[in-house]
Amino acid sequence: MSNYKVADIGLAKAGRKAIEIAENEMPGLMSLRKTQGKTKPLAGSRISGCLHMTVQTAVLIETLVDLGAEVRWCSSDIFSTQDEAAAAIAATGISVFAWKGETEEEYEWCIKQTLIFPDKQPLNMILDDGADLTKLVHKQYPELLNGIKGISEQTTTGVQVLNAMVRDGILAFPAIDINDSVTKSKFDNLYGCRESIVDGIRRATHIMLAGSVAMVAGFGDVGKGCAQALRGSGCRVLVTEIDPIVAMQAAMEGYEVLTAHHAAVKANLVITTTACTSVIDGSILELLPDNAVVCNMGQFDTEIDVSWLKATALKKTTIRPQVDSYLLPNGKHILVLADGHLVNLGCAKGHPSFVMSTSFTNQVLAQIELWTNNQDCKNYKKGKLYTLPKYLDEEVARLHLDHLGVELTKLTPKQSKYLGIPVNGPFKSDRYRY
Amino acid sequence: MSTMEEQHSMELRPLSPRCDVAAKANDQHVSQELEEKRRQLRRQISKNRRLFSRGLSVSRLDSIESTASVDSTEQISFVEDKKVRKKRSMSRSVSASSADSFSSASYSSSEDEDDVSPREKSQSNSKGFSDFCIRNIKHADFGRREIEIAEQEMPALTDLRRRAQADKPLSGAKIVGCTHISAQSAVLIETLTALGAKVRWCACNIYSTQNEVAAALAEAGYSVFAWKGEEEEDFWWCIEKCITSDGWHPNMILDDGGDLTHSIIKKYPTIFRGMKGIVEESVTGVHRLYQLAKTAKLSIPAMNVNDSVTKQKFDNLYSCRESILDGLKRTTDIMFGGKQVVVCGYGEVGKGVCSALRGLGSVVYVTEIDPICALQACMDGIRVVRLNEVVRSGDVFITCTGNKNVISRESLDRMKSGAIVCNMGHSNTEIDVASLKTNDLTWEKVRSQVDHIIWPDGKRVVLLAEGRLLNLSCSTVPSFVLSITHCTQALALIELFNAPEGRYKQDVYLLPKKMDEYVASLHLATFDAHLTELSDDQAKYLGLNKSGPFKPNYYRY
Repeated sequence: MSNYKVADIGLAKAGRKAIEIAENEMPGLMSLRKTQGKTKPLAGSRISGCLHMTVQTAVLIETLVDLGAEVRWCSSDIFSTQDEAAAAIAATGISVFAWKGETEEEYEWCIKQTLIFPDKQPLNMILDDGADLTKLVHKQYPELLNGIKGISEQTTTGVQVLNAMVRDGILAFPAIDINDSVTKSKFDNLYGCRESIVDGIRRATHIMLAGSVAMVAGFGDVGKGCAQALRGSGCRVLVTEIDPIVAMQAAMEGYEVLTAHHAAVKANLVITTTACTSVIDGSILELLPDNAVVCNMGQFDTEIDVSWLKATALKKTTIRPQVDSYLLPNGKHILVLADGHLVNLGCAKGHPSFVMSTSFTNQVLAQIELWTNNQDCKNYKKGKLYTLPKYLDEEVARLHLDHLGVELTKLTPKQSKYLGIPVNGPFKSDRYRY
Repeated sequence: MSTMEEQHSMELRPLSPRCDVAAKANDQHVSQELEEKRRQLRRQISKNRRLFSRGLSVSRLDSIESTASVDSTEQISFVEDKKVRKKRSMSRSVSASSADSFSSASYSSSEDEDDVSPREKSQSNSKGFSDFCIRNIKHADFGRREIEIAEQEMPALTDLRRRAQADKPLSGAKIVGCTHISAQSAVLIETLTALGAKVRWCACNIYSTQNEVAAALAEAGYSVFAWKGEEEEDFWWCIEKCITSDGWHPNMILDDGGDLTHSIIKKYPTIFRGMKGIVEESVTGVHRLYQLAKTAKLSIPAMNVNDSVTKQKFDNLYSCRESILDGLKRTTDIMFGGKQVVVCGYGEVGKGVCSALRGLGSVVYVTEIDPICALQACMDGIRVVRLNEVVRSGDVFITCTGNKNVISRESLDRMKSGAIVCNMGHSNTEIDVASLKTNDLTWEKVRSQVDHIIWPDGKRVVLLAEGRLLNLSCSTVPSFVLSITHCTQALALIELFNAPEGRYKQDVYLLPKKMDEYVASLHLATFDAHLTELSDDQAKYLGLNKSGPFKPNYYRY
């Protein structure tokens, strides 16, 4: 197995500079290095990571290593790698297999490279984003399953996959769903997308958002963030939803809730955020106005039916990398960004570092929990999915407050007794929704 | 202030309170007597009000009344009464959620009959039914109009009536209810009977009853025991009347605050054990239920409606977002743009409050104890500070914490003159109002629910609703939001009543998600919102049922 495979190792210097800047914005991870770097809680762990190889992930990787782990890394999407970050990590001697613009076959190849460590040692922990690595090991390397202590999963879609595996009784080890930590889904998914959706669209196209009509499919955390950002830029936003509670939230925020076919005739910008499949199919694509821009903010590329486009279009023109124009038989053009893959990573630089710090701090804590706090699978059982306890969630938030100049109020002993809450938290019940 | 007084007295002198007595205004003697009686009644009301607000001794009360300002303030509220009456004659255009119903204890109708407690009156409706106790059955027509208007904004309940009327899912249910009695909850009550239930109802708050709505319910044959301005003793008497009556064996409880549940457990434990379940609405009541469950004293299942998504994320968030502005405007008429507003707490209520005020150009600061909520505030562009950093510069202070003594006397001492202080939390202990009832401070009533507290050096702080929940005291809650809440309660009752044996044990449960989603779907038509349906393929891919539930229980919305 080769040591690494990246686009251009020469980019390592530029990557290092970018990493240094990111470190300034990731107080959670840097704090963990400071407090736990000496005790090396992850010593002995061999983590296979499958998560977008970006500058922020580089800071995560180096934090894991600082805490004693050995890691091998690949990206969780074919377009999301930032080549200079991959190069910088490879230059430190970490085995990373990722470049921007992989093929599907190369993508799978990269995952496979992460499984066996030097001296033929197999992985014993997984850090996953979309559950592709977990699925692959279960399907193609079942002999390795016994040696794996656990997996921490990053994203909604991946949790869906894991839930299905738990239901079918095939998940071979304990899993921690960090997506459903409050400090992840209510920050990364919401605020991260709020900042990166417009970034992705602007870097890829020249459309004016003010006055445009955007159809946002799905109004979950990602949909909420996207809708808010687009409205803030002057778009008129239409929402489609299957869930009545979420549809009502959209209505309360003043968005029109339509079905996709009704929205499509008006929308010159379409964004999918559903984690579902075939949300924008041929029948909807045909209704869109000429030169409509279609893109996706969900983890997988199944939301927009790009294969229908490829089969049906009379012509495909690549305007620039990750921006393709399809001419339909009805004479209209559709502009597809990042081939239906995540547009914020495919066409821009993903989420801002600060919000990735809250997510990744959860990841590191989850890895530490599974590695050090699970003797004989007592706390986290095989084949089950857990979330981090609330006091850790609150700890993640705490680590990020100084950076924003926050002065937290402290409960007096009297107030603490009145509320029945310890002075240092946890402050909310598990039912609380934030 | 004094010119205003003069103006008011100029306007008032020739007039007397009631239109029908106006004819006798020429008779000086009669109008003087009446004037004196009204003054006595108002003093009595103020006294009653103050007796029930915590921490105030009777001696303090006397010194308030002895200040010269009493007369002028009485005159101000007098003018209000007149305005109120005028509005009511045009009532069709004024919705049930108008200021009149909730605004203040100086609301006209209750005063006129104040001389006799409803318990000492025997009234009966037009059909001779008399098993109720309310202020005045003659106001039933006004109440009915208000209920009809509320129905227009509460499509879900009317829809529910239509859909379930054939099945009558609550037939056999005998519900004892203890909630606020308003036009909106009247719609709920009538829905429950349309679904087959029999009910007896009382109020969960001594001031919140809309008398004319209670009258309308009594007229329609409901056993309702509630009036605005109950005394503490009346409150418990009303609850008693709902629990016990000849031939009445209640089997379900709908509670708001836990007082009804508490009464039944204490005094009628056998009745309690024979019931099918409790539906509890408020944070406080839910808290009490969880405590009972922990000490194994809860012998029947309970539904916690407060923590359903549709309640938490809609009632707490959106209704506060709308009513904070309403409450502040009606009481103080301040300009929101450019004000420095300090919001204590960034939970659901805090989020709604901040969002509304920022929308109108206020500069908002948040204080928080919870790092996660603090981080959320930051992400929304709001500075998170400690109270002592902004206490001197803040123009408006709003508490929404659920905690007590968030704003202490010390903070109030340091606020600038003219600062406005109010509370959006359920309990009235968030602002330490008791600490303001000392001899060095003077209280001056500006208008109903608005008090100036004056320091010896002349500095004034404006306190709203005496630190009580602002939106219920000084404004209203949009009917639509109440529709969501009441619909959830109705469905919780249906669920508990019809659940097969053993599904619910002696514990506190959350509403099943499917019901939560059903409540939401009943409201979508109002917005002309069209829900997308999953294809079979998509449903399989997601591992979901096409008709829901669509999200796991841990999803936070």
